[in-house]
Amino acid sequence: MGTKATRKDFYMEIRRSLGRFLSIFFIVALGVAFFSGIRSSEPDMRATGDAYFDGADLMDIKTVSTLGITADDIRAIGNVDGVEKVEGGYSADFLCQGEDREIAVHIMSMLPSMNKVTVTEGRLPQKPGECLTDDEMHYKVGDKIKLKAGDGKKVTDTLTTDTLTVVGTGNTPCYISFSRGNTTIGTGALSGFFVVADSTFDMDVYTEAYVQAEGAKELTAYTDAYEDRVKEIQDNIEAITGERGQIRRQELTADAEEELDKAKKELDDGKKEAEEELSEAEQTLKDGEEQLADAREQISDGRAQLEKARATLNSKQKELDNAKAEYASGKQQIEDGEAAYVQGMADFGAQKAAFDKQKAEAESKFAQQKEQLDQLNHLCNRMAADVAQKKAQLSTLEVTIDNLNQQISGMNPADPQLPDLQDQLQKAEADRDDLRDNILPAALAELQGYQTQYEQSKKAYDAAKDEADSRLAAGQQELDAGAAKLSATKTKLDSSGAELASAWNRIQDGQTQIDNGWTELEKQEDTLDKAEAELAASEKELADGRKEYEEAKSEADQKIADGEQKIADAEEEIGKIKNPKWYVYDRSTLTEYTGYGDNADRMRAIGKVFPVLFFLVAALISLTSMTRMVEEQRTEIGTMKALGYHKLTIASKYLGYALLATLGGSIFGVLFGEKVLPYIIIYAYGIMYHHIPDILTPYNMTYAAAATLAALACTIGATLAACYKELSAQPAVLMRPPAPKNGKRVFMERVTFIWKRLSFTWKSTVRNLMRYKKRFFMTVFGIGGCMALMLVGFGIKDSVFAISELQYSQIQVYDGMAYLEEDISDEKQQNTAEFMGRDTDVEQYTEVNMRNITLVNGSRERDAYECVPKSVEDIGSFIHFRDRRSHDKYELTDEGAIISEKTAKLLDAKAGDTIYVKDEEEGNHPVKIASICENYMGHYIYMTPGLYEDVYGERAAYNCYFFKAEDSSKSALEKTGQKILRQDGVLSISYLRDIQKQLDDMLKSLNLVIVVLIVSAGMLAFVVLFNLNNINITERQRELATIKVLGFYDPEVAAYVYRENVILTFIGAGVGMVMGRLLHLFIIRTVEVDAAMFGRNINFPSYVYSLLFTVAFSAFVNWVMYFKLKRIDMVESLKSIE
Amino acid sequence: MSGFVTLDGVRKVYHMGEVEIVAADGIDFQIEKGEFAVVVGPSGAGKTTVLNILGGMDTATEGSVEVDGAFISQYSQKQLTAYRRDDIGFVFQFYNLIPNLTALENVELALQICRDPMDAEEVLVDVGLGERLSNFPAQLSGGEQQRVSIARALAKNPKLLLCDEPTGALDYNTGKSILKLLQDTCREKGMTVILITHNQAITPMADRVIKIKNGRVSRMIENNNPVSVDSIEW
Repeated sequence: MGTKATRKDFYMEIRRSLGRFLSIFFIVALGVAFFSGIRSSEPDMRATGDAYFDGADLMDIKTVSTLGITADDIRAIGNVDGVEKVEGGYSADFLCQGEDREIAVHIMSMLPSMNKVTVTEGRLPQKPGECLTDDEMHYKVGDKIKLKAGDGKKVTDTLTTDTLTVVGTGNTPCYISFSRGNTTIGTGALSGFFVVADSTFDMDVYTEAYVQAEGAKELTAYTDAYEDRVKEIQDNIEAITGERGQIRRQELTADAEEELDKAKKELDDGKKEAEEELSEAEQTLKDGEEQLADAREQISDGRAQLEKARATLNSKQKELDNAKAEYASGKQQIEDGEAAYVQGMADFGAQKAAFDKQKAEAESKFAQQKEQLDQLNHLCNRMAADVAQKKAQLSTLEVTIDNLNQQISGMNPADPQLPDLQDQLQKAEADRDDLRDNILPAALAELQGYQTQYEQSKKAYDAAKDEADSRLAAGQQELDAGAAKLSATKTKLDSSGAELASAWNRIQDGQTQIDNGWTELEKQEDTLDKAEAELAASEKELADGRKEYEEAKSEADQKIADGEQKIADAEEEIGKIKNPKWYVYDRSTLTEYTGYGDNADRMRAIGKVFPVLFFLVAALISLTSMTRMVEEQRTEIGTMKALGYHKLTIASKYLGYALLATLGGSIFGVLFGEKVLPYIIIYAYGIMYHHIPDILTPYNMTYAAAATLAALACTIGATLAACYKELSAQPAVLMRPPAPKNGKRVFMERVTFIWKRLSFTWKSTVRNLMRYKKRFFMTVFGIGGCMALMLVGFGIKDSVFAISELQYSQIQVYDGMAYLEEDISDEKQQNTAEFMGRDTDVEQYTEVNMRNITLVNGSRERDAYECVPKSVEDIGSFIHFRDRRSHDKYELTDEGAIISEKTAKLLDAKAGDTIYVKDEEEGNHPVKIASICENYMGHYIYMTPGLYEDVYGERAAYNCYFFKAEDSSKSALEKTGQKILRQDGVLSISYLRDIQKQLDDMLKSLNLVIVVLIVSAGMLAFVVLFNLNNINITERQRELATIKVLGFYDPEVAAYVYRENVILTFIGAGVGMVMGRLLHLFIIRTVEVDAAMFGRNINFPSYVYSLLFTVAFSAFVNWVMYFKLKRIDMVESLKSIE
Repeated sequence: MSGFVTLDGVRKVYHMGEVEIVAADGIDFQIEKGEFAVVVGPSGAGKTTVLNILGGMDTATEGSVEVDGAFISQYSQKQLTAYRRDDIGFVFQFYNLIPNLTALENVELALQICRDPMDAEEVLVDVGLGERLSNFPAQLSGGEQQRVSIARALAKNPKLLLCDEPTGALDYNTGKSILKLLQDTCREKGMTVILITHNQAITPMADRVIKIKNGRVSRMIENNNPVSVDSIEW
């Protein structure tokens, strides 16, 4: 490339603009990675599946015949052209007890080399009776499983034993997912498989033959090449089946006749022998019966005697008991008397004490009174003495006076002694007067008073004493009488006690006699009981013997009858033996095998649209970057041109730049994308197909090359175009600054009232947006694209996850279905219906006819469930018929059927059309479609019983109940279900909750895929925004520098730029929402499987999340840009325009 | 030693890897208020460095810069932005107008962040663009664009008008009329104008001529009799 200088310039360019180089590199890398990665997922899924199938030597073709396949057949198939290997195998379906209910299992024999089983735990079965169970089942090594045949035959007709021992668990390539397929027994669905050694099967012929096609192993499964190859060999095998069938029939007929003869003879022999044995047994029984009758008579005699003895004993006992009662009552009387006596004694004691106390009290009182009386008497006496003394004094005085008087009278009056004597006389007369007149009468009065008092008291005392004495005497008399009575009582009591004691002795004697009598009686009775027990045992023996005899007899009869029947049947069978029917299947007969391919196809559908848009955005951005780069370097191009460099040399710098960035990015993208994305996606599907061990992600060169070439074409083309434009100009023109772009008035300026209010920066922003139209659309498309991708990611999640919720809480709102046995009797059906109506756990139920039918419209066919409710009124509360968009309700009428939306779409039928129910025997039945209802899972056609009769000409037979439980929590529902299942005639129960869970599980695998989409879209959004912002800032560096020189602060400068970014982000997001919505609709339609219809909705939060992500990325990029803005050198403003 | 604008020993050294480039190697000069000063010198002499430092777009490595009593050499980045906002009017060689704002809006853009602005329309009439207020830059000739640029600088009512080769991208006559406009502005409004040019011929119109060579002031001439632009030819 050119000169040394240009080379150097080239490297310097990359170094200088490393940001741009890397952003192109990564945008291209992302685009290519996503495009090639998602696209590769589909072939990688196939390759992964194929590697697993090849590794396990999975069969290509399976052949079954209605009469089994003989070793000769196997040899014949082996000789067919194109058959590489053929192996015969056995299989049969049985019932066994599962965790909580009876389940149906598929038992298959191990093949010598094909369909290799992977052992997870334990080992492969080797001996008969050993088995390896399905990983998905709950059995553990060492468990014993008892099998039951589902069709009334015996397990041992098919197997050597009916009990299998688990020796290991594992998985087989025949079942790659959870579903185990269908059967004709039990609930109709298989719950798992058991693998056994072929010696466990006890069959003359193989049930199926497995074939590997020549050259098929080298081809990848699910590809047309593989399928064509297998089809060819399938046809080859089909060609020999007619001949093989004839041979098989002849063989069977010959064998059967020979056996029939043998059986007839055996039957006759058997009959004779049985009769002899039976008559002998009869005789023995009769003898035994006679002996027993004798024994029975003897025992009954003994019993009668015993009865008599017992009666005597009983009457004696009764007498004794009477005596005992009398004794007891006598004893009681004595005891009562004694108690009364004791009480009397006590009373007497108390009386006596009281009397004594009274007496003492009275005596002491009288003594006291007596004393007082004596004192009074004494006082009287003393007074009398006093009075006497006074009287004596008086007389003394009288004497004195008389003496004196005498003296005086005797004396002359002049005697000197006279006055003295007169004085003495006077004084004595005064004393005498005093004594006589005062003192003496007072003393006399006093004495008289005391004497009166004494006399009164004495009289009172005497009266009281007399009364008390008489009372005490009466009391004493009473006491004496009481004591006498008590002693008489005591004497009587003692004599009664002696009498009683003698009576007791007599009673004791009588009791002893009676007891002895009883003991004797019991002894007799024991003997009799023993004899009786012996008799009973003998009787039982005899009865057993009789029963045995009856059984043997009926058995013998039955056997004979059976034998006769069998012979008759066999004779009929032999007549009926037809040529066997052969079926030759490819791998699609394996459960879920096709589903895996469908998932790969779905991935292809996603890969068709999503990565293209992704890639488009990436290409557009790198294209813009390159164009910008060339335009920016206009002066340099001019200079180079002026210097005389060749156009190509000049252009080669830019082409080289683009080539290096794009090629580098592409290679990186392919290396990363084709490894990581398919791995994640297949890993996600691994949740469903978890036995596929290794994920293969080979490089798919076609996609790698396509993506790389497209990326190169975009960038190189853009660079070339830009270079061509610049290079065609004259160097002088190039070196002059480009004419500044014209400022233009925008529409908004005409709306003056808004425009006037805008600041200049806003005006500038608005004009800028309008002026750089290219950048405007670029950014809007870039951001819009990313927003759309994220929205689609979220939207797919919404739509896919919406269906289980919509289907099972808004459309099919019942809790479960109970299927009835086929050919159920009317009585049983009546009973179950009564039970459903009666059971309080069942809130509501309705009878329906559920049937699998095939609908036909023109050349299109579709399997669907035909659902005919017995009560058209009730069905509305189990299934909501409505239009998906308008939610208008539909009624089921006799006018026509209601058909589910997806079914109608696949059949290309509209409301009002007439479609047909396929019937190969009687011809198709036409049905008119009345309306099309919202439905997401499965295909349904609903009819009224009336319409059913019109269509089929017969009445519908109801084989199923829809029911709603009163309590629909998981445990309560299962309890209710089990109760229903216990009803005679109910075949199986299925819960909508379980179906919903299965669906949710299945859809979960899409979750990771969606995360991949969202993350990738987010990354792209980031790179795109970064790049666009980068361009924006670089382009306007000079303008920004000028603004800085004018004195704008950093945040003001940033705001100047950000305003545009913010507006562009929001416009882009708005556009993205519209784009995303459309893209989502398209993708959902492509991704959908036939069995389900996904929602068409994107939930509001998804819009919000996508917007938030976009805004967040934008904000982050702008934040990073802030530093770039800060670094803009103001000196830039001084530079000339480039 | 203290004029309106004083540079004292200003040095500016750029480090380019291990190489040191001395753009200014001790520049000293003073300019008085209201003077029309011309800084002249050959390419690479350090004129632009002086302008950058004076305009607050760059800082000196050493030495002091004083403008109207403020030592801007000690200013922080934020203070420098405020200084550019309020004290400096800048006229660029390539006008640097915002292309999608009209002449009037370009002036108003500068005014809306300014403390004490003049009326934008008046200023545009003053510079002789009364008729072209609502034209976009692309619709104006170079001279007219430069007039808008001058009007944008003047309308901020700055202390100092810095002009970086204002006639550099203009033809002779237009250049002359722009110089006249600047001279008249200086004379009539008493604005201090510092003009940077490599054109020796226009020095006679200046009040003060500062010649710079090799990062130093080689000569400073005070011209007592500046002539009108009209009488200068080159």
